[in-house]
Amino acid sequence: MDKLEVEPGSLVSFDVAVDGRRHAIVRIAGELDMSGIDPLAAQVEEALARGIDRLTVDVGQVRFADSSAIALWVRWAGAVSAFELLDPPSLLRRVITAMGLSEKLGVVQ
Amino acid sequence: MSSVQSVDRSPGPAAEEVAAGAEGVAPERRSRAALWLPVATLIIGLALTVTLSLVSQSQYTNSEKRLLALRVRDASLLVTAALPSVQTSLASVAELADATNGNLSRVDQFASALVGAPASGKQFVSLSLWKSADPAAGPVAVLGQTPRLASAPARAAALFASAMHRNTVGVTSFLTSQPPGLGYAYSAPRVPGGYVAYAETALPANRRSKLQTSNAFANLDYAIYFGASQRPQDLLVTNLSHFPAPSPSHAETVPFGDGALTLLMSSRVSLAGSLPHDLPWLIGIIGVLLSVAAALLTWRLTERRRSAEELAGRLEVTASENRRLYGEQRSIAQTLQHAMLPDVLPEIPGMLASARYEAGEQGVDIGGDWYDVIDLDGRRLLLVVGDVSGRGLKAASTMASLRYAIRAYAAESDPPDRILTKLSHLFSISDTGQLATVLCAQLDIAAREITVTSAGHLPPLLLSNGSGRYVEVEAGLPIGVEAGSTYTATTIAAPMAATFLAYTDGLVELRGESLDQGLERLRAAAAGDHSELPDLLGRLVTELPHGPSEDDIAIVGVRWTS
Repeated sequence: MDKLEVEPGSLVSFDVAVDGRRHAIVRIAGELDMSGIDPLAAQVEEALARGIDRLTVDVGQVRFADSSAIALWVRWAGAVSAFELLDPPSLLRRVITAMGLSEKLGVVQ
Repeated sequence: MSSVQSVDRSPGPAAEEVAAGAEGVAPERRSRAALWLPVATLIIGLALTVTLSLVSQSQYTNSEKRLLALRVRDASLLVTAALPSVQTSLASVAELADATNGNLSRVDQFASALVGAPASGKQFVSLSLWKSADPAAGPVAVLGQTPRLASAPARAAALFASAMHRNTVGVTSFLTSQPPGLGYAYSAPRVPGGYVAYAETALPANRRSKLQTSNAFANLDYAIYFGASQRPQDLLVTNLSHFPAPSPSHAETVPFGDGALTLLMSSRVSLAGSLPHDLPWLIGIIGVLLSVAAALLTWRLTERRRSAEELAGRLEVTASENRRLYGEQRSIAQTLQHAMLPDVLPEIPGMLASARYEAGEQGVDIGGDWYDVIDLDGRRLLLVVGDVSGRGLKAASTMASLRYAIRAYAAESDPPDRILTKLSHLFSISDTGQLATVLCAQLDIAAREITVTSAGHLPPLLLSNGSGRYVEVEAGLPIGVEAGSTYTATTIAAPMAATFLAYTDGLVELRGESLDQGLERLRAAAAGDHSELPDLLGRLVTELPHGPSEDDIAIVGVRWTS
């Protein structure tokens, strides 16, 4: 995995890449909570506004995500026709399952 | 947010005191601090200027005096330089007379070149030969005018005696008569019964002279007196029209034959040049200007420092105001949070309900956790725990609307699963960006029956006889994800003295740790604790590790007492 952009003082880093077929890949690493969520939300919101239709969110490097982060993903999932949460670590998978969101976020149990 | 801010903006008494203190003390101190330093600078600057000016003036005066004294010495040398030529002429005449034993024709031949009318430019106006042994007899020979000494035999005797005694030219003056003149007498030494040569010169009738054209007298006023005093009757020559001579003046007495001359001089211009003359004034003007500039500069710097201090003071006031507002807002948030939670829990015979709420430490924002215990009909309770994602007033208002919606649906006797389905219509994450997990449990006290439904919420814990287990309940979608979601109700039987606990994720979630570890920690801690329900809840909230306690924690429990 390439090095992700890291905002100074933030525990999270992310990268939004759009390929030509109305498909965006969002890669997130680190700890994502309410304090660091706004820049990520803004950037993906922008991509959605440009007509992105399929979203793959790679969370393989996410060590922690709070309910705000999960709510953000749920929101994205509702905004595109195809959504995939790629490679969630087991800790994250467990939380998503406990919230009844496995299916909604495309997480295979 | 508007209502909170409007409350906060009105400053409390403490803030007014601080502000009044800053405004009240400043102006008085300001004017004093702003003025004394520049004034002191000005005074010191002016004092230095005056001192330097005076020192420079005194230096100038001293150097002028010294220079004038030098000029007087120069001039006196020039004046007395006339005497040797007089002496030479008279000595020649006297020696010739002695050598020729008074052959006056020879003397006459030699001396006629020296004598002429006053305007002729010759050295003397009168030249005569006297017998030194008999001055009273008068001159034995005369060339030019009749010597005025001839009419004063006593004076002639004294003059010749003095000249012979001192072996120099005897000098006498005729200053009271017109035209004024000087007389010179000389006789060859050690010639007893020899001749005395005596000559007279004329002075300008008005005693005015054009001597100043000579270098030694350039730019100087002068007066030359016969003798050691400066009496008007002894004045030989001057270029001054008024007396006394202008200051500074310098006088020096120099020997002139057997007598003396006194030169009095004063300078018309600065002898040292114009710079030393003007220096005290230059120092004065520049010093005053510099002092004023320094004072102005000091004043400006003082002003600037004062305004910087004022600004710092104002910032300090603002900072303390902000700290106060922060504290106030935080307490407002907590007050609001508590206002949205039930004051008292219902009391139903055979059971005890208790709850704890612990605010996280995330600044002033209010959290979205809540709990509720609703008495349905005196036999059954509805226990609710929920968590709205995010923080702040938005989360709190969503929480409030969910809480009161549940109360409304409960009043309509809806079962827990129907309540959650109805809630799912309340808001959508695509509009609000929020979702809420809710656990809804209906407890039938007498029947010891618990019906649980979960909208994505963590499972409740059932404690009994020192053991605990999580109720396996199917987690439906959180509220906000999909309108019209359906939920599965799970009904279990409560054992004797069972305790039913529901909570929010802040109690079990730790970063970097599996959710199951947190759940197990809670289960173990709760199962091993046999204290009263309120104590149990308090201990769980305070003693279980929950990271940097950033998340709010809500926990509510019901215990069968019979």
